[in-house]
Amino acid sequence: MTSMTPEGLIDWAGPILNGALTTVQIAVLAYAIGLLLGLLGAGAKLSPWAPLRGLATVYSTLVRAVPELLLILLLYYAGAQALDALLGYLGMAGAVQITGFATAVGVLAFVQGAYMTEVFRGAIMAIPRGQLEAASAFGFSRWARFHRIVLPGMLPNALPGMSNLWLILIKDTALISVIGFNELFFTIQQAAASSRAYFLFYAAAGVIYLLMTLSSTALFTRLERYVRRGQPTEA
Amino acid sequence: MTSSLQHAFRSHSSTAPAVVATQLIKHFGELEVLKGISLEVPEGTVTSIIGASGSGKSTLLRCMNLLERPDRGELAIADEAIRFDRNPQGDIIGLDRRQLQRLRAKVTMVFQQFNLWPHLTVLGNVIEAPMRVKKLSRKQATALGEHYLERVGMADRRDAYPAFLSGGQQQRVAIARALAMEPRLLLFDEPTSALDPERVNEVLGVIRGLADEGRTMLLVTHEMHFAREVSDQLVYLDQGHIACSGTPKDVFEDPRCRQFMAPAA
Repeated sequence: MTSMTPEGLIDWAGPILNGALTTVQIAVLAYAIGLLLGLLGAGAKLSPWAPLRGLATVYSTLVRAVPELLLILLLYYAGAQALDALLGYLGMAGAVQITGFATAVGVLAFVQGAYMTEVFRGAIMAIPRGQLEAASAFGFSRWARFHRIVLPGMLPNALPGMSNLWLILIKDTALISVIGFNELFFTIQQAAASSRAYFLFYAAAGVIYLLMTLSSTALFTRLERYVRRGQPTEA
Repeated sequence: MTSSLQHAFRSHSSTAPAVVATQLIKHFGELEVLKGISLEVPEGTVTSIIGASGSGKSTLLRCMNLLERPDRGELAIADEAIRFDRNPQGDIIGLDRRQLQRLRAKVTMVFQQFNLWPHLTVLGNVIEAPMRVKKLSRKQATALGEHYLERVGMADRRDAYPAFLSGGQQQRVAIARALAMEPRLLLFDEPTSALDPERVNEVLGVIRGLADEGRTMLLVTHEMHFAREVSDQLVYLDQGHIACSGTPKDVFEDPRCRQFMAPAA
């Protein structure tokens, strides 16, 4: 078998593309949830209420202080056990595939949220106070002030950090392979091991990751140009 | 008691003052900034608050839309007695949020640093509060916005972003933004202090025009000559007290007042 039928890229194209698609799905979902967690975290950290501030500080400090690989393993085993117990209790045991995907998304989102909390906190604090005061002085409700003034006001400050986190997230999805979930990296490892064409498959993985990050960088550049539409470009 | 007071105000709306402040006291930590200020601003008149830096004039102005919450005293603005939450000693510890939002839709402010929202165009800045706070449709708000941009001479820059305007132009947009709420009372917090000298007059010209229309305005300014010209009432603040007040003629002719103002005037 070793020399007669070498497995090539063509044979693995289907699974690899599937894995890439899964990676994108995990990343997009984890990012979206991470954004939400980050907004909540930043809101809590800037809250006048001390217990809320404390909770957010514990979250962002602890998560950022522990290696992500370790967190993924910890949350995977703890999370899976808890979920299994819950599903067993409800008499719905056996939804293993869904559990793996959900864990991947959940763990990465949880980690993203901690970093996003700090990105958003800094970005909100960088909004000139007078702009927020003007919104208050005109009788804006809290919600109107948040989504009409705070959000668009902080995005120019937050986007570079957000784009960084997105790139890190795409690459972090590879860590999910340690829990044996079929995303891009796990599939590549299988392909490489089975065909022994290690360089070929890992290089292919590199190209796919590069395509993902380059295309999203282009997207972030356009987004940043849009949120900075009111700012003069440096002459 | 508030409802009867409101009723009394409404039934005399032509004569009720836009502001009645009674014995306002405000601390920042240990520092007492306002030491019992009482002030009335009659409807349709212009009152200027003058005084040295640190005399408390901006703090007093900011109490009028409750950007600063006084620690003690009474306040009735635009026909409403402000409902303060007080502790048993009578210190003010809270506000009625609903009333606050209602009040702020009727009392709008022009800031020293303009404070336009940089992500919105000139027109966007002017129609934002009418749409979000007064719940006008975009069409209604735009009609209002265009009218007031015309009024301050900025209609041709409606699609520009604030960062591309001069300070004087930004301040005129900020005035249009305050006017578009069609407020009962306009507050100006040192509207020309952040401007280049050659830009001051275009803004003062707009404010003078508003005074001539009979708008009710409360102004904090360092422009003594301007204050003397446009005001019906001058209030000279010194270290948290009203040192002098009256018509510009009274204040400028009173030897005691002149003595106070000597370094400033």
